[in-house]
Amino acid sequence: MARVVVTGVGPVSSIGIGIAAFAEALRTGRSGISPITSFDPAGFPHRNAGEVQTFDPGAQLRRVDPAEWGRSSQFAAGAARLALADARLDLTSVAPGRAHAIMGTTSGESAVAEALTAQIIDGGFAAQDPALLTQLPANRLANAVSEELGLSGESLTIATACSASNYAIGYAYDLLAGGEADVVFAGGADSVCRWAHAGFFRLGALAKDACTPFDKDRAGIITGEGGAVLTLETYDHARKRGATVYAELLGYGVNCDAIHPVTPDAPTVAECMRIAHRNSGIAPSDVDYICAHGTGTQVNDLVESKAVIEVFGERPPPISSIKSMLGHTMGAACGFGAIASTVAIDRGFLPPTVNWTTADPELGVDPVPNAARAANVRVVQNDGFAFGGNNAIVMLGAPE
Amino acid sequence: MSGVVVTGWSALTSAGVGVDALAKRLALAEAGQVEKGHEIGDLYEEPMPAANGHFLPSFSPREHLGRKGTSTFDRATGLAVVCCQEALREAGVSLDDEVRPRIGVVLGTSLGSFKSTSDYTRETLVQDKPYLVNPMLFPNTVMNCAAGQVAIRFGLRGANTTIAGGTLGFLNVLRYAGNAIERGHVDVVVAGAVEEFTPHRAWATRLTGATDVVAAGEAAGMFVLAKENTPEWAGTRQRAGVLAVATAYGPGGGEAAETALAGCVHRVLAKAGVEASEVSTVYTGEVEDGDEREFGPIVRVLGHRPDRVMVKRLFGECDAASGAVALGVLLAEDRDARPGGLSLLTARGADGAVGAAIVRRYADGGLDRG
Repeated sequence: MARVVVTGVGPVSSIGIGIAAFAEALRTGRSGISPITSFDPAGFPHRNAGEVQTFDPGAQLRRVDPAEWGRSSQFAAGAARLALADARLDLTSVAPGRAHAIMGTTSGESAVAEALTAQIIDGGFAAQDPALLTQLPANRLANAVSEELGLSGESLTIATACSASNYAIGYAYDLLAGGEADVVFAGGADSVCRWAHAGFFRLGALAKDACTPFDKDRAGIITGEGGAVLTLETYDHARKRGATVYAELLGYGVNCDAIHPVTPDAPTVAECMRIAHRNSGIAPSDVDYICAHGTGTQVNDLVESKAVIEVFGERPPPISSIKSMLGHTMGAACGFGAIASTVAIDRGFLPPTVNWTTADPELGVDPVPNAARAANVRVVQNDGFAFGGNNAIVMLGAPE
Repeated sequence: MSGVVVTGWSALTSAGVGVDALAKRLALAEAGQVEKGHEIGDLYEEPMPAANGHFLPSFSPREHLGRKGTSTFDRATGLAVVCCQEALREAGVSLDDEVRPRIGVVLGTSLGSFKSTSDYTRETLVQDKPYLVNPMLFPNTVMNCAAGQVAIRFGLRGANTTIAGGTLGFLNVLRYAGNAIERGHVDVVVAGAVEEFTPHRAWATRLTGATDVVAAGEAAGMFVLAKENTPEWAGTRQRAGVLAVATAYGPGGGEAAETALAGCVHRVLAKAGVEASEVSTVYTGEVEDGDEREFGPIVRVLGHRPDRVMVKRLFGECDAASGAVALGVLLAEDRDARPGGLSLLTARGADGAVGAAIVRRYADGGLDRG
């Protein structure tokens, strides 16, 4: 089994584009939440989201033409372009077919689906723009990465909702560890959309102004968007080309609640943590930091905390939620979590849970409230849970 | 790669529910026939792009599953859950709490239910208040809805993965599922793909279709996959071996995609350790004899022209599920029951995505391991 390492990261996020801006935002606890502009929020009681308003696909992308690809695909391709540049990797040196693109998503090209729906309402089904319809299939997210970087390996989009990019990173791990790849670009992308905003509001799971995970008065998520891609390589491949190694990808675990479409199950989540630890060859006491799923809903944060205490005991490692800054970026969320975990290891600090005011005695966890904390981070657990009970947890460690 | 075996399967197609309906339909089909599909009639209120389509007439999940838990199902979810039930039964999988965490679900799609998603968005645009949507239906807007409901229905607690692959969907699923088994994440995967027949898909197929030879269709195909030496609870017969699967991408499509497809065929032959001359049949995504965008590169690699089966001619354009229909046809067909013969399943997508799988069908009814 080959060892797998992270040699580049590409965040296209509401708190910064590229590792320098993203890491600085994590360190200073910057919020990326702002009034919604990507759709008309008139009539919605809650009108904030974590939109990536400074992303300029025309400037960022070299091969993918923004006119022919939806917003989520553009995020995916833009993030992959950044991850490649950050890894300082010359792709012409990689054997064709040995570099793959694996992307996760919740809603795929949701903005395209909404534009088509508006056309259906206005002019009937026949009035849909065929060019827009060709942008609709969700497999285009991975294909956009393959196109942008000229990759001829596997091009796979995994659609396991909000844990999708951990699924993608996990599958990438298997490809690399099992000798089927030298390089994999893995992560996820999603776009802010009306229907998710409406759906979370009606579930009572949408906060008004700010997302406040692990706070006693937490009121839900803020929808977010972006693209998050990591350059993953086998250790040997990275070493031979003299790459800078940020972190080692230790392994992952996935399982399924198989109980309820939206309500998470603490025992199954705890089991997923144990599976991830076992597959990574580590013990709970090795874990220095948990990058939480931490959506900021009452039920998620309670279930996640319960599972953590079941697995780690009464004094679990610090657990913070970057969704307090980014909002819930859905299929990109675990990708951003993996990048934040990488930054935590590489730069030696724990990203904070911002907007935190009131302890919740029911939770019993340390959410790294409001300010980043210097720390020697050797092992990180990056949590991802989802509708459909799709749990996926990725473990990262300091490079040796 | 050691490959995986199919211990049982089922398919829901325009021929009806289950293996027998499919086999009967194939027995009646004439060579090269293009089937028009059923008259759509009053299936939907919305205007449709054609009078016919390949759907399951009067399909009702409740008829197969009972009322409990089915009221929120969209069509794709209903098709997937019923198909999984049939496949588990056909394979003879004995479910208990000990094995449930060792069984995964891997399901292919293009974008889940476009109808569920679009209808939800529509509500936000036409209601007095944009948030007057039904919270119970919100999970249907997410692409993993069907796979999640399959898991809930049968308590399958292993890896639960939805693959958005479009045309490549089912080959992506076989590839992913094989890896999950080989790497020990699960012992068994119920692997398949599903697409529903709705105004949304019918119109998308019509407006973007490269051909109007076949109409849109719906289908689900689910296959119980396991290692060759898997425990008896996963089913005691081996219907077929999925010997090797490869997917790839040709940036820009065109020649790059043809090269990538040829590469996939080379790779699956090498991985399976078989000769090109042993491949007797290829199941492709094309619909016309004159179209060899997929078949051409395959023939060049094989060095001979095997039989080409174009399942969309009989069962419609089922996007991600067409690959699952192809494997179902391969397993159900009577006419070409050459035990031990090798078949290729291939796909070529609208962008540069391509893939191939090599399948060995075992003697009728399968090798009995009991």
